[in-house]
Amino acid sequence: MKAFLTIAVSVMLAVAISPLLSAQWPDYPTANVPLLPNGQPNMEGPTPRTPDGKPDLSGIWALGRGGGGGGRGQRGQGRGDAGAGAARGAPATPANTPAPAQARGAAPAPTPPAANAGPPVASFFDLGSGIQGGLPYTPWAAELRRQRMADNMKDNPDAHCLPIGLTQLHLHPQPRKIIQTPKLIVMLYEAQGGVRQFFMDGRPLPNNDPQPWWYGYSIAHWEQDDLVVETTGFRDDVWLDVNGSPLTTTGKMTERMRRPNYGTLQTDITIEDPKSYTKPFTVRVNHRLMLNTDLIEFICQENEKSSQFFEPASK
Amino acid sequence: MKPRSIVLATGLAIVFATLPVLAHHAFNAEFDRQKPVTLTGKVTRVDWTNPHARIYFDVKNDKGEVVNWDFEMGSPNGLMRNGWRRDSLKVGDEITVTGWLAKHATNVGNAGTVTMKATGKRLFAASSEGDAQ
Repeated sequence: MKAFLTIAVSVMLAVAISPLLSAQWPDYPTANVPLLPNGQPNMEGPTPRTPDGKPDLSGIWALGRGGGGGGRGQRGQGRGDAGAGAARGAPATPANTPAPAQARGAAPAPTPPAANAGPPVASFFDLGSGIQGGLPYTPWAAELRRQRMADNMKDNPDAHCLPIGLTQLHLHPQPRKIIQTPKLIVMLYEAQGGVRQFFMDGRPLPNNDPQPWWYGYSIAHWEQDDLVVETTGFRDDVWLDVNGSPLTTTGKMTERMRRPNYGTLQTDITIEDPKSYTKPFTVRVNHRLMLNTDLIEFICQENEKSSQFFEPASK
Repeated sequence: MKPRSIVLATGLAIVFATLPVLAHHAFNAEFDRQKPVTLTGKVTRVDWTNPHARIYFDVKNDKGEVVNWDFEMGSPNGLMRNGWRRDSLKVGDEITVTGWLAKHATNVGNAGTVTMKATGKRLFAASSEGDAQ
């Protein structure tokens, strides 16, 4: 009874607070949301499909259950995982915590199918937090990461308003949006205004690109219901996570993205980079659909005043 | 229901009503989590800007001198999702800020919460402290 009352009071308070959360976003509800008999969104409903029968990955996606968004190890299950921008969208339901405030238009977070199967879940600070023994660094990469951490990660490109490593973007608390067409898929990331294009017209990866890119060059194809995205052409100074796990120009990232139900996006990321890692490794990121919201502009250079106070001072 | 349970439930509701944010830099690069601080003063300026909203406020120190403080908060998108509006704070508002001091800069900090003296309303300032390593 005591536990029931505790939960009841929590829910009442959460409901009381929720109008605050939804107070200032235009009321544009997501279309074609499958509903439960009680009228709530059915986040575990069937995977939507495009007219050609492919899974439709379109939507606004927040870090989801087991998304590993936060700091130490898997603590991203807590606040860091609670759904960046979940206001007016589907709120987070951290796996081992009480349900958070139910924002207006919200729905329970879906349960990813086979959540306990598959690759280890990555975290924002440490991509290898779910891998026993951590990532398989080469000695060069291990020393570089050690130095980056000793410097309080102050040279993470993000800290200087530069583009974030792709895996940081996948794990960032700020949401991302997928726009899907048959021959081109675009991912927009609220964090640092990142933009990626997945070319699906059959072109190969460039093998003589003279200009490495922050986000690399991506081609994609379908393998049954998995979208397989291959990316190469990275710069030599990518930070895969906040702790500074490197990726270099010899690196390749392969993402297998799938939408196993209406509310879940699951991405398995394989990194190959012989300069940085002794063998390839694969980690998983789960995202959950956000309803009735959109990306918010984020122009980092607008008023960046933090880096002048960094310790140790930037060189 | 015992008072302790009510307090616990209230705390949980508030904690989980806050939505996540993250500084564009590691907390430890700028701030010292071993130096928590609580300051009360009057708002002199609000920068509703990326990558961090910043509040400047005058605080009277132990010697009676007025010192202007600069506190970093989350980004406007994170603050909006936690219930802020760009006019939530106005010049002249009296506030109490809890947060952490910068490692080396003087009169600079990272805000955890901001409480409005006039209404008692307490807002989560989207600090990145909880994400620090």
